[in-house]
Amino acid sequence: MPENLLDTLIELQPEILKATGETLLMLAICLSVALVLGGALGILVFLTSRGQSLERFRGFNLVTNGVINVVRSFPFIILLVAISPFTRVIAGTSIGPLAASVPLSIAATFYFARLIEQTLRDVPRGVIEAAEAMGASPLQIVRHVLLVEARSGLVLAITVLAVSFLSYSAVAGVVGGGGIGDLAIRYGYYRFQTDVMVITIVLLIALVQSVQFAGQWLARRMDKR
Amino acid sequence: MSATPASTPAIALKGVSRRFTDPGGGEVGVRTTDLVVPQGEIHGIIGFSGAGKSTLLRLVNLLERPDAGEVIVHGQNLTRLSASGLRQARHRIGMIFQHFNLLHNQTVAENVALPMRIAGASADHIKKRVATCLDFVGLAEKADVYPGRLSGGQKQRVAIARALAPEPHVLLADEPTSALDPRTTLDLLDVLADANRQFGVTILLVSHEMEVVRRLCHRVSVMEGGRIVEQLDIANGAIPEGSLLASWLADFGAVGPAASPSPTQSEATAPAPHHFALEAAHA
Repeated sequence: MPENLLDTLIELQPEILKATGETLLMLAICLSVALVLGGALGILVFLTSRGQSLERFRGFNLVTNGVINVVRSFPFIILLVAISPFTRVIAGTSIGPLAASVPLSIAATFYFARLIEQTLRDVPRGVIEAAEAMGASPLQIVRHVLLVEARSGLVLAITVLAVSFLSYSAVAGVVGGGGIGDLAIRYGYYRFQTDVMVITIVLLIALVQSVQFAGQWLARRMDKR
Repeated sequence: MSATPASTPAIALKGVSRRFTDPGGGEVGVRTTDLVVPQGEIHGIIGFSGAGKSTLLRLVNLLERPDAGEVIVHGQNLTRLSASGLRQARHRIGMIFQHFNLLHNQTVAENVALPMRIAGASADHIKKRVATCLDFVGLAEKADVYPGRLSGGQKQRVAIARALAPEPHVLLADEPTSALDPRTTLDLLDVLADANRQFGVTILLVSHEMEVVRRLCHRVSVMEGGRIVEQLDIANGAIPEGSLLASWLADFGAVGPAASPSPTQSEATAPAPHHFALEAAHA
């Protein structure tokens, strides 16, 4: 069996490399989009929540909170299929890693917005108030207080996001999204090649472990409390 | 600062009020109140819990917006300013808090630099002021340490350095020593008195600790039920006889949550041994 596994590994090496590359591409795209758009959205939802500096925009808070909940209610595979016309407009196709990145980015954006909003709640109100008393604008509060004080929590939030969407990207394989999940389905599932299944799972475990380890290491280094 | 004549009060609150409803449905806050603090004065606000002391203090830099009335700091009517005008005005109003409110993920020097970075000062100016202010509070050697490694007294010193760094007209102090032990409290009062003497900064301080007010303040406003019910000059730490404050002192030994005349259950259980310790230290 181990020899068998090794043979398969050598035989499928180009496929495995390609799949890993596709997975990393999907992750890179959806994490970048989520970091920028989801991050901004999460910060805005936090700032407009009760007791914070932009509390007066309560309407925005209620609407955005609702939208985040709605998007997060969708099982990912349904979202993937439901928005495929939109995906075709953006990516020009509904197949392949680039196309899969569209629904991944949307799901990741709203997921991350919620993570960020909750992470920022850990910043003590008194510290934000001290900055307000100094005459800080909302943008300065974000830059000089929230992102500084919550930074290790933010790194952990990104870690959770990366791990979750590594497995979401595997789901994208179902609709021909490419990546490690696609490989597992095409060889491991449809062709009953258990050894391929084992290889892909080991690969995914290794990826998750390294992301988690790196995130925790960085978060610990950044926390000076 | 130079544009305002010395006769202009540092702080003038005119008919300010701010009402809250507490969780029990009762009304708390500040009822229509006036307060004038001349430039260079150290003015104390003392009273029992729930008297409205902190609310009154927070009205001065508009952390609380008054329901009615005007807030004038160094001749500038803050209540009429735009949001950005208010931010500008706040650059010159320092504030320190009971729980210090330092950034834990920034070094001591970065904390002191923060208000000046917010105000847009040059890097050169910031560096000079940080050094000056940390030197003033005696923590120059702690510049690169994170606040988590400091004692409570040291943290409050850093907070004072941070508040003084942008050269404020006015320093607001909200129960600055209430989280500290008696000895540290006395050290800290010296720092505040020095700041007043050296930089001429007007200090408005809220405390429920008699000894703090008596040692530090030139004048004191006594608050009860959201109003200032008495104003006294305190010369050499002596409380004028026949005043409400003198009778409180006689009745309770100190003015604090534990000594409140109508204490709630939770307040009644809070011990205040250090008030008595301070009394003893003074005697």
